[in-house]
Amino acid sequence: MNPTLGMYRPRNTPMHQAPAWFKAVLLVVIAAVFVLFTDPITSVGLMAACVLLLISTGPPLKATAQGLLGIVIIAALSGGFHVWRGEIDRAIDLAADLVGLVALALAVTSSTPMEHMLDLVSRILRPLRRVIPPETMGLMFAITVRAVPEVARMMSESRSAAKARGLDRSFRAVLIPTTTRTVGFALDLGQALHARGIAEEGDNPAPYRRARRVKH
Amino acid sequence: MIEFLDAEFTAPDSGARILEPTTLTLDERRISIIGANGSGKSTLARMINGLATPTSGSVRVDGMDTVKQGAKVRRVVGFLFTEPSSQLIMPTAIEDITLSLRRSIKDRTEREAAAMQILGDIGLADKADVSVNALSGGQRQMLALAGVLAITPRIIVADEPTTLLDLRWRAHVGALLRSLPLQVIEITHDLEAAARAQRTIVVDHGAVVFDGDPAEAVEYYRALMLDRAVGEPAT
Repeated sequence: MNPTLGMYRPRNTPMHQAPAWFKAVLLVVIAAVFVLFTDPITSVGLMAACVLLLISTGPPLKATAQGLLGIVIIAALSGGFHVWRGEIDRAIDLAADLVGLVALALAVTSSTPMEHMLDLVSRILRPLRRVIPPETMGLMFAITVRAVPEVARMMSESRSAAKARGLDRSFRAVLIPTTTRTVGFALDLGQALHARGIAEEGDNPAPYRRARRVKH
Repeated sequence: MIEFLDAEFTAPDSGARILEPTTLTLDERRISIIGANGSGKSTLARMINGLATPTSGSVRVDGMDTVKQGAKVRRVVGFLFTEPSSQLIMPTAIEDITLSLRRSIKDRTEREAAAMQILGDIGLADKADVSVNALSGGQRQMLALAGVLAITPRIIVADEPTTLLDLRWRAHVGALLRSLPLQVIEITHDLEAAARAQRTIVVDHGAVVFDGDPAEAVEYYRALMLDRAVGEPAT
């Protein structure tokens, strides 16, 4: 996976100018429409609209095409299975839903700074602050986005290392080092958050301060 | 001022003693810590901002206990890791700096302006919207340092910050660390950098074995390692 896929780039497009809350609502509404309407023509139309929306954000074309290619392959496999079962309408609907949703998600992430997303998630969760710490949840969202290309990079390095040792065909030689390195990355990231004092006591309301206090 | 009061650290899983009971007062502005791999120097450093907490004894920073007042201590003590990738939390350079500023600057526009200023100060203004994955190792380490400086600490603990860098970035990051108007404690294998401090501590097998003049400390460490290299078979 290209590490820059879906990454925010400052541009002056309508999607970039739209507020983060609007894009989040758009994402939820269109996802609901995708799920509710199983008519293949509607799904293909929506998919085309989502792809156009993605193109309107001015993403790097090569990286985006490469990134979407993986999803298109998965959509084709899934569609192929339904065609094999004689469900052509379902096949078109599912494939269009998948490609459309990914394109829409990329359109949102590439036109919205993570900082705005973090603010939005924190604001949405503020009424629930006694149950869910808003800053921490916002941070979890940001870290997830950050971790995806990092894990992809580790997997690519593990694959190269396996090849170098003549283990090209060994799934285990890729999976085990990727998993252990991912766990190591997560631990390091946790330590880094801790070291920078992010999402610590004082960032969350009183019940969390009590719950998170560690007895040594 | 940093005080180690009979502070000891034992690994929770293996029960191995990583740091013998240690008593130290660190108040010089430039302190270097040297020692072989696995000697316990990183543990000593991590205890300063509460990343590792003493199993017995205590560590205090400006009178604050690193266990009881860990969060407050971490607002005073910034920590720079060897591997910058895992220290960069957000996808782009500017977003990573603004994350550090969220606590101190509530207004988003002001926060972004402050982050741009910090990026400009370290020469990365043109990389503001670049993915952290697309930066070079040296640029990442500079960005990680900027992220730490953005929390306006009074003390910086840097755990081998230049080990993974090429000579050019090593000099650049080293010069920036030396120019900071803060107390800087640097764990390093770079003996030239260690000798530039005001005080050098040598850690070996979990104990402080030399503490004093940097030139003498470096000589002591060289002799210690040479002895060991002669005494132990090469692997």
